Amino acid sequence: MSDGGGENGSEQTQPRKSGGDDFAQAIAKVAVAQICESEGFQAFQNSALETLSDIAVRYIGSIGKNAHSYANLAGRTECNVFDIIQSLEDLGSVQGFSGASFVDHSLSSSGVIREIDQYVGESGHIPFAYSIPEFPVVKERKLTPSFFQTGQEPPDEHIPSWLPVFPEPHTYARLPLPDEKAIEPMIRMELQKDRKVDQSVLNLHQRLVSNGLEGPSSVYPGDPDKVKQAEESNPFLAAPLEFGEKEVSRVILPAKLANEPALESRVTENHVMNNRFAVLETFAPAIEAIKEGSFDSEGQKRVLLNRRPTVKFKIGIGKKSFGSMIHSTPENEGLKKISPWFKGESEKDEKKRRAEKILKESMENSQELAQL
Amino acid sequence: MNQNQNQNQNQNQNQSQQSSDGRHEDDTALSEFLASLMEYTPTIPDELVEHYLGKSGFQCPDLRLIRLVAVATQKFVAEVATDALQQCKARQASIVKDKRDKQQKDKRLILTMEDLSKALREHGVNVKHQEYFADNPSTGMDPASRDE
Repeated sequence: MSDGGGENGSEQTQPRKSGGDDFAQAIAKVAVAQICESEGFQAFQNSALETLSDIAVRYIGSIGKNAHSYANLAGRTECNVFDIIQSLEDLGSVQGFSGASFVDHSLSSSGVIREIDQYVGESGHIPFAYSIPEFPVVKERKLTPSFFQTGQEPPDEHIPSWLPVFPEPHTYARLPLPDEKAIEPMIRMELQKDRKVDQSVLNLHQRLVSNGLEGPSSVYPGDPDKVKQAEESNPFLAAPLEFGEKEVSRVILPAKLANEPALESRVTENHVMNNRFAVLETFAPAIEAIKEGSFDSEGQKRVLLNRRPTVKFKIGIGKKSFGSMIHSTPENEGLKKISPWFKGESEKDEKKRRAEKILKESMENSQELAQL
Repeated sequence: MNQNQNQNQNQNQNQSQQSSDGRHEDDTALSEFLASLMEYTPTIPDELVEHYLGKSGFQCPDLRLIRLVAVATQKFVAEVATDALQQCKARQASIVKDKRDKQQKDKRLILTMEDLSKALREHGVNVKHQEYFADNPSTGMDPASRDE
């Protein structure tokens, strides 16, 4: 079979999997399926349907190709009926048709046409199942109008008026560039402007800090000037204090615990300190520092030491380990001895233990911080 | 020579001036047939035919000619399908009678590659597919058990 439609001849039996022709292939499949159904088939093998539709499409292509070549042979570009009939006769020569043996037979009374006429009369009238949009979709190109169409005069004599108009002059015309001397002051001005903006931002920062409203720090390392300024305004960035440079107050205990005889001495000591801070207040600097994302550990430490006069704990009932709390410090030893007797009144015991634990922890913590 | 060529061309176009009355009759019959195609809508849509004819270099604004090609293609496909149907029926009839009872439930007429390739061979299209080509899970079994 001659290769119709300029398609790849090597894939004669296998339908192409890809290619821009999927839509037409699908339509051909539907049409061929309809024809086969009208002939009496009830089902298809998919490959058979694809093969037959591919062959039908190639048949159309062959007719077109042959008709076109016959038209060219007669010196025409457009085909007429006789080209098509001739081409159909060529394709039908395998099967044979009536009158094929006469070399000089008339094309208008060709056996092929008679057969087709007969087929049209016999076959049922089965239109295609779907309505088909125009395809292939060709994008409409919008051409640039010519000088003549726009009514403009070409800028030069040698440009004919049928050529497209020039684009806007600013798209191609060369603009005069100011010389370097003129540019330099401009750049300097720009730089100064930048600096001014920086300073105003810094001022804003300082004001915020003094109001205690400082947001996220925008001081970048690597700018010594700014860092210095920031250190002055921001306590978190200042150099750390040495141990002992500043007095750190002891942790204060809740009033409830002050009544315990075993802890009396310490509690009295703690009670001396009257300046109390809420827990949240005490830890505020640390929280802020974390929020700011400044991981300058030195600054953080200093702040913690500096701003930690007392810690006030609120005791809630949570299930924490009681048993491991009792250490063999001298104060606790008395407790240990007593503890078996308090088994009945476990609530009291529990409270006592927890108080003990918290005290211990706070002590350790403060020591640790100091060591840091 | 020149005259001979002219004659051939005239015959191709069938507009020979040495026309007789018979020719005139043929011409009117042809134009009538073409006119009748305008009322007949072939199953193969015009758009599809136009698309593939355009791809092959065919140029013609006349819808009747496109319809003619569509009808010719439809006829070709129908002929192939009829042949394949005959093949299918013949194959089903050739099955041994005792197996036909089991077959009754699946006596649908299915267009298979086997029948299609036989039908197409008569039309000059040589379709060969692998014996083991699997269209469905039952392909590959021996024909008797496959048809059950």
